[in-house]
This record gives sequence, structure tokens and C-alpha cells, in this order.
Amino acid sequence: MISLHGTVVSGEFSRHFDLEIGHEIVGVVGQNGTGKTSLLRTIAGLSALGSGVLSLNGVTADCPAERVFVLPELRNIGMVFQDHALMPFLSAVDNAALPLVVRGMKRGKANKLALELLEQFDVADVAHQMAPTLSGGQSQRVAIARALIGDPSVILLDEPLSAIDEGSRSTVRLCIREHLNRLGVSALVVSHDFADIDQICTRIENYTR
Amino acid sequence: MTTVGSRTPRFVQMGAAFGVVFLSLPVVGLLRRVSWLTLWDQLTQSSSREALRISLYASLSATLLALILGLPLAWCLARVQFRLRRVVRALVLLPMVIPPVVGGVALLGVYGKTNGLLGGVLDSLFGIQLTYSIWGVIIAEAFVAMPFLVLALEGGLRSMNTRYEEAAAVMGASDFSRFRRVVLPLLRPSLVAGLMLAWARALGEFGATITFAGNIEGRTQTTPLAVYTMLESNPEGAYALSFLLVAVCVAVLTGLRDKWIGGISR
Repeated sequence: MISLHGTVVSGEFSRHFDLEIGHEIVGVVGQNGTGKTSLLRTIAGLSALGSGVLSLNGVTADCPAERVFVLPELRNIGMVFQDHALMPFLSAVDNAALPLVVRGMKRGKANKLALELLEQFDVADVAHQMAPTLSGGQSQRVAIARALIGDPSVILLDEPLSAIDEGSRSTVRLCIREHLNRLGVSALVVSHDFADIDQICTRIENYTR
Repeated sequence: MTTVGSRTPRFVQMGAAFGVVFLSLPVVGLLRRVSWLTLWDQLTQSSSREALRISLYASLSATLLALILGLPLAWCLARVQFRLRRVVRALVLLPMVIPPVVGGVALLGVYGKTNGLLGGVLDSLFGIQLTYSIWGVIIAEAFVAMPFLVLALEGGLRSMNTRYEEAAAVMGASDFSRFRRVVLPLLRPSLVAGLMLAWARALGEFGATITFAGNIEGRTQTTPLAVYTMLESNPEGAYALSFLLVAVCVAVLTGLRDKWIGGISR
């Protein structure tokens, strides 16, 4: 569950948000510059709230007035970054397994689980290719798998289908939706494509400038 | 047709040619004096062997010491805003620009047994004497080699995109885990380049070492010091050791070019 009542700031930009998200998949739409990415970064703990309170699953994660700030590594979040941010020195499967490995799982077991996820996202054939050699679409699928692996309690997807070709988008959307439903988590999906929001999400938040 | 910008004037070509001759002549001079038939014997005679052993041990230890002290320093210079940053950066560069012998004198001022700032205390409390010991060699070499490592690491850290660390943080990686699993692999080219340059500098150190640690055969006499000493008593040995040092440095530069700084040297 995500509860945010506060001001998100990023450089010169600031915007007040009032969000209550239960175990549902919420689509965030709006023009460029309306703070969608900044909102996700704040929930993930990569930026601090300007003011107000952010709670994740009932626990205060960020509250400047009370000097509370939970570090991103303690928030248990799965996230797809707009530029995917795959580690360039790792293979696709090592990238997808990384969230498990950094939390202490043995590499062999983590890679097995990661490979299963990569299969579901149809990129198992490139599992052992290094990240920089993947196409935009393959890299994005690996990034989605990496966000879903383990048991994150909150999932944030920033333009998760932007690099995937039109023909296979709807399959990937379905796959994402299945996983989010299975995990039963709070999820936020930022997208410019209404079809993404329509097929993945259960509710829409629309922001204008 | 060549354009004005791409045409190199004759006087520039001549200047460049003289530059190449100026740099290569000493190498030719050195190679000419190497007695190839006795090279192996000269390199394996006991004083050469001892000097090479001390050089290898001290330069590797100095590189390690420079890494332990230099990596945190490079991190702070690249990523932390603090008031004295300019002063600290100037301090890091200082050993690079001062005459090494002055560096040795300065080290004596700190660790010298009789008049040093800390030398007396170290000796009376712990019985540690750095001057005229292998530790003195290591410290003198680390002092002159550290700037090369810090500069390389600072450059690497500065140009590193922090989004990978952010992604790792969101995945649950602690500070240490991010450093080990993300920063170190991304920093590897700069780290290897910095380590090789620092090691080559430590290996060739002369002025600070002879001033601070002395020139005691079998104890503090490194290869460059042995070359200096042998030049009068055994010139053949001096040229043999010099050749070895040049060969090692050429190998380091070749390694750097091919693997780590290919973009610059193309």
C-alpha cells in the first residue's frame, strides 16, 4: 500500500500529490513535466519529499517534518527505470537475478529463478548475452523481469513498454498484468500509451500541468 | 583534395620528427650498451637479484598502500562537496610535482628517528623505525605513486553514471554491496590503469627512497638505486637492470594502451 500526501521536488520542479493506492495497479498518465518520474523516484527513495508524508504498507518511509527517511534499499521496491539501467558488465540473466543476489541468495539459485522469468518474457534465448548487446526491447523485458523478481511489496514501472515493438506489446502487457496480480502488490505504471494503462491497470491517475 | 585544416605544415612535421628522435635516442643508447651475451648472468647475480626482490616487494606493497589510502580519497574528491576540497586536491598532486628528493626530506621531517614529527614517538613507544628500513622504501614509493592512482580513480568515479547505483539501491543493495557489485566493476578500467601507473612509478622511484630509506644493499637498495650504485663498479650490470626496468615500463604502457585506454591512443 502506498499513501502519499506531500510535495515531490526535483530541482526547480515541485508538485503536491495526494495518492492512496491499495493492492491495485494504478496507471499514471500526464504530459511531460508533470512530475510522473519524480513521483516514482520519491516513492523509491531516490529523492526525498519536500514536505508531507509517504507511507509504504503502513510504515512511514519519508516525513521531513519528523526527520524520517527510510533508505531505498530498505523499502522493498521493484522498479523499471525509463532507461532500463541494466548493469553493463552483467549478462541478461545476471541482471535479472541481481535483486536476489544482493539480498544474499546464492547465485545459482537466483539465476535459475531469473531464467524462468526471462522465459516468460520471451528473452531466455539472450539470457547469457551481455546487457549492452541486447536490443532496446530485449533490454526492457529484462528490466521488467528484474523489477518483478523476489517479493517486492511495491512495484514502480516507468514507461515499461516504450522500447517494445507494437506487435508484441499486448503479450508483454498481459504478462506484466498476470505477475502484478499474482504478487498482489501496489503498483504504479507510468506510460504515455493509453493502451498500456488500459490493459495493465485497474485505475488511472491523470495529471495535468 | 586536402583542406587547409587537414594539411600539416612542413615545419610541424620536422618538429615532430625531432621530438621522436629526442625521445628515442636514449632508448637506443641504452640498448646499445646492453651486453646481450651476459644479460642473464648480470640480472641473476646476487646484488641484482636482491635489488629486484626488494623492488618487487616494495613497489607492490606501496601500490597496495596507495590503493587503501587513495580509493577513499578519490571517492571524496569526486563525490563529496567539502570546503577544503581544492586544498586536498592540491595536496594529492603535490608529490607529483615536487622533486622526489624533497619528498624524501619531507618524509624524514615526519618519520625521522631523531628530529621527525612522529619518528621519535614511533621509535620510543613501539620500537618502529621507518627510516633506513624496507618500510621506509614502501612509504617513500607510496608517497610518490599515490597521485597517479588517485587521479585515475577520481576521473573514473566522476564520469561514472550514478543511475546504476540508484538501481542497485532500489533492488536492496546496501552501501557495501553497491560498492562491491556496481562501483568496482564499473570502475575497473580506471582502477587497473591507476594501479599500473602507480606501480610503474613506485618501481622507478629513486630520489625519495635514497633520501628517506637510504641505499643499503639487501635491505633498502631497490633496482634504480642498484643501477646508480653499479654504474661505477659494474656498468654492464647497471645497463642490464636499466634494460629490465625499461622493458617492464614498456610492457605496462602497452598493456594500458591495448586494454584500458584504447580510445586515447588510437
